[in-house]
Amino acid sequence: MDILVVLEDNRGSLHRMSKEAIAGAQKMGGSVSALAIGSNADALSGKLSGVDLTEVITVNHDLVSSYNADGYSEVVKQVIESESPKTVVIGHSYQTRDFIPRVSAKLDIPFIPDIISLEDGFVKQVLNAKLNASVTTSADQVILSFQSAMFSEEAMASGSCSSRSFDVNLDSSMVRAESEEPFQEAAGSVDLESAELLVSIGRGIEKEENIQMAFDLAKVLGAEVSASRPVVDSGWVEPFRQIGSSGQTVSPKLYFSLGISGAIQHVVGMKGSKNILAINKDPDAPIFEIADYAVVGDLLDIIPKLIEALQTEKDL
Amino acid sequence: MIEREVLELDVLFVGAGPASLAGAVHLQRLLRESGQDASVGVLEKASEVGAHSLSGAIVDPRALRELFPDKNDQDFPFEAEVSEEHLYYLTETRKIPFPFIPPSMNHHGCYVASLGKLTRWLGEACEKDGVDIFCGFAGTELLYDGDQVIGVRTGDRGIDKKGVQKQHFEPGADIHAKVVVLGEGTRGSLTKKLLHRHNLMDERNPQVWAVGVKELWQMPAGIVQPGYVAHTMGFPLGHDIFGGAFLYGMKNDIWNLGLVVGLDYKNPGVDSHHELQNLKTHPWIRSLIEGGKMVAYGAKSLPEGGWYSIPKLSISGAMLIGDSAGFMNGQRLKGIHLAMKSGMLAAETISKALAENNFTESKLGDYEDRMKSSWIRDELWKVRNFHQGFDHGLFGGLTNAGIGLLTGGRGWGFKNRLTSEPGHLQLEKGLKKDRYKDLKFDGTYLFDKVTDVYHSATAHEEDQVPHLHVNEPDICITKCAEEYDNPCKNFCPANVFEMVPDGENQRLQINFSNCVHCKTCDIMDPYQIIDWVPPEGGDGPTWINL
Repeated sequence: MDILVVLEDNRGSLHRMSKEAIAGAQKMGGSVSALAIGSNADALSGKLSGVDLTEVITVNHDLVSSYNADGYSEVVKQVIESESPKTVVIGHSYQTRDFIPRVSAKLDIPFIPDIISLEDGFVKQVLNAKLNASVTTSADQVILSFQSAMFSEEAMASGSCSSRSFDVNLDSSMVRAESEEPFQEAAGSVDLESAELLVSIGRGIEKEENIQMAFDLAKVLGAEVSASRPVVDSGWVEPFRQIGSSGQTVSPKLYFSLGISGAIQHVVGMKGSKNILAINKDPDAPIFEIADYAVVGDLLDIIPKLIEALQTEKDL
Repeated sequence: MIEREVLELDVLFVGAGPASLAGAVHLQRLLRESGQDASVGVLEKASEVGAHSLSGAIVDPRALRELFPDKNDQDFPFEAEVSEEHLYYLTETRKIPFPFIPPSMNHHGCYVASLGKLTRWLGEACEKDGVDIFCGFAGTELLYDGDQVIGVRTGDRGIDKKGVQKQHFEPGADIHAKVVVLGEGTRGSLTKKLLHRHNLMDERNPQVWAVGVKELWQMPAGIVQPGYVAHTMGFPLGHDIFGGAFLYGMKNDIWNLGLVVGLDYKNPGVDSHHELQNLKTHPWIRSLIEGGKMVAYGAKSLPEGGWYSIPKLSISGAMLIGDSAGFMNGQRLKGIHLAMKSGMLAAETISKALAENNFTESKLGDYEDRMKSSWIRDELWKVRNFHQGFDHGLFGGLTNAGIGLLTGGRGWGFKNRLTSEPGHLQLEKGLKKDRYKDLKFDGTYLFDKVTDVYHSATAHEEDQVPHLHVNEPDICITKCAEEYDNPCKNFCPANVFEMVPDGENQRLQINFSNCVHCKTCDIMDPYQIIDWVPPEGGDGPTWINL
């Protein structure tokens, strides 16, 4: 086995970052297998039946029916010991951050986290994404985690794969943690990282009353709403909508930037967007340096007209 | 009532800077030699030792040699020995060498260094010696029994913007210690409380401050000469603002370019960050950084007051060391060796106090006596009136410094002690002048403030109560706006303070996550209503070699 992709269960469906990890592993070349753990393992395996993989290994055991770090790290350890993959690949999710370091320590295999590119060694961002570090390893085996949106889930190569159940040795002495229901953010329905369209608001929105305008635009576009730090700081939108070095990193197909000046702290969180459309009053705003479409003007005039036009288009 | 963990130590140093770390190493040695067993800890608010350490720096190796008598200078984590030094007077376009470098400004035998690297190295020495360093924990309260300090409380974690406990709330711990040594750096938040409560600045000159801002420039190979040192006066500050620029050659083709600005200027529009950008418009400086890339930014305040601004150093259960006590030689632009020595002297007193189990003010006062008979006193006494002379502008200051060389430090040749007013009182109302009309940030050599801040790699949990407490926010939009046009916008080198439109009026926006922990706001605010307190432990800049 060349590559083993460890999958993450997202309440019975496959986590987006697991699909991206599969796409990445396929791109790296060699034989790729996947590992599904937990009570939904068979369901996850079923969802991959049309994907080009050697096999999906499933582990279902009472002690790992839902996620817990002790159990998961032991399962992954045993699978690695038995199957000896050269490379273990996983999406860089919160869950990964929680248990993969333990696997790395247990097996003394290096873990290179949060990789953004495979172009020149394993490339990861350091110092607040200011520099890229190219990491290599002399070890025979390595565990890699990919940053969100490094690969596109759509790039998963289709084909076929088989499924095999794997018996693990687990007893309750190994699992000291008891897991509860997965914690869900109050407004967990918004997943900015996987949104294809984002309407993002900056200080140019001027007043809290104008925020609704951005939500209206998002609604006709079918987009999610995100924001730059000052808007969040003013309490006009919820903190989970913040993009940038102290918020989330996104790479939607279209990033609709409204009144955002484009300070570097914001740009590092959205520069991976496929298309950037920026509206700003200030023709010298740094956002225009990275925008694909630039509109110099007052968003308070433009947005209502745009909403109207889009609405008319839709109604036709 | 919140239940807190309690940790019992014998000695707690607060702030893992050169003073505390040298003090801890020295203390462990003294304890070993005298056969004592005591637990020594160091509290550090940064995520790791060195991440909040910033200095010029040229280091006088004297204290390091004393602390590590078995080592050679080559063993210390310096960049390079000073190999060439210059002192220039800059006009807007020209540079004029000083005819000679006064002995007090001579850096022969000293080393260009990064304080971040030095503290990391000292931190390792501490841990090898059995000192516990607690990183990511800020001291937020002093614990008292009557008037005796008995420990430090660390900050709570997991409190949201509105002051409400979040799901992962974690109360701070109480660390009890027989002696608490404050080595918090400049304007430490616990130090500020201690000075105030015990009137430790009585009969002293008020501390005089400056702020230093600097950038590191990664240059193509072969341009930077490690150990090259240049200091300048004149442009861009002119004659009415105390300060000057420095340029040091570091290892790995890095220029260390910075500017020190005295925090006793009159024009509320002065902005140290913008002055540094202006400096880079000078043709000579510009030619030096041509083809390079700015890779790091930082700022720090420094105590310039000297001998007469050193507070009383000990009370029952607590002592002050390093920048917290104002140990800096303004004329030599050096304080690291003094900081280290002060920590070591404190350690000597603590070792004796532990042996006698006596931590009273009079016992711990032994530290001040030791300091007064050490080379710290010899060095600071000679330059005791240095900064005060600059109240009369650049040429007055230079004249005073020059005469001082001949008279052993007497002000203007005859006065033993010159006094100064606190710097924030020097700001003049209605005097705001825009010094930066012609400054254009090109994004290649000249940067706007938020871009520089990005290069300080500072980060704070956003959902917490801002750690810059503005006690009377109404003053900002009324009195301060009228009288000074809100100098916080200018004196903060990290764009923390902004006045933003709020309907018809303005309001103060505090971008606390930009903060680089320099404390300039706490010092320079004309109404003294800004109180800098530590944010959640681990937050703040991530400096590597500043």
